[in-house]
Amino acid sequence: MDSFSSGSTGAGSPQISTDELMDQMKVQFAQAYAQEFLETVRGKCFDKCITKPGSSLSGSESSCISRCVDRYIEATGIVGKALFSASR
Amino acid sequence: MDSSLNSGDLDRFLSQEKEKAMVNEMVTKLTSVCWDKCITSTPGSKFSWSESACLSNCAQRYLDVTLVIMKRFQSMQ
Repeated sequence: MDSFSSGSTGAGSPQISTDELMDQMKVQFAQAYAQEFLETVRGKCFDKCITKPGSSLSGSESSCISRCVDRYIEATGIVGKALFSASR
Repeated sequence: MDSSLNSGDLDRFLSQEKEKAMVNEMVTKLTSVCWDKCITSTPGSKFSWSESACLSNCAQRYLDVTLVIMKRFQSMQ
């Protein structure tokens, strides 16, 4: 909607709408949260599953990592629920 | 046409995002702490009942501890 009506006079630097700015920020926040989560899960699951690093990832190490990721996501849900349904 | 930024909308948006960020930080920190405390063995294909209970209890006890510490500080002043 805005992209068709802005910038046609060449009056200076391109204007961004508030909505566009907020959308871009939402994307960046989501990416930052996802990145942080990846790094946390990687650290925890490496600790739990890779006890003695070999010359490649074994099948049991790989499936441990998979399970660990699922469990960590589940743990995040359990903790989140406990924090926000606790009546204080 | 919106040729200048609407600071009212932006302020509201930013304060919502700030609150979301604080909530996210609390949940991620607590999950990390409680995972370390409660998940002592290799992760399985589901949590045992005691692992789930531990995680849930851990989060709630953490809040209790926060209150106890705050009250203690207050009583020292």
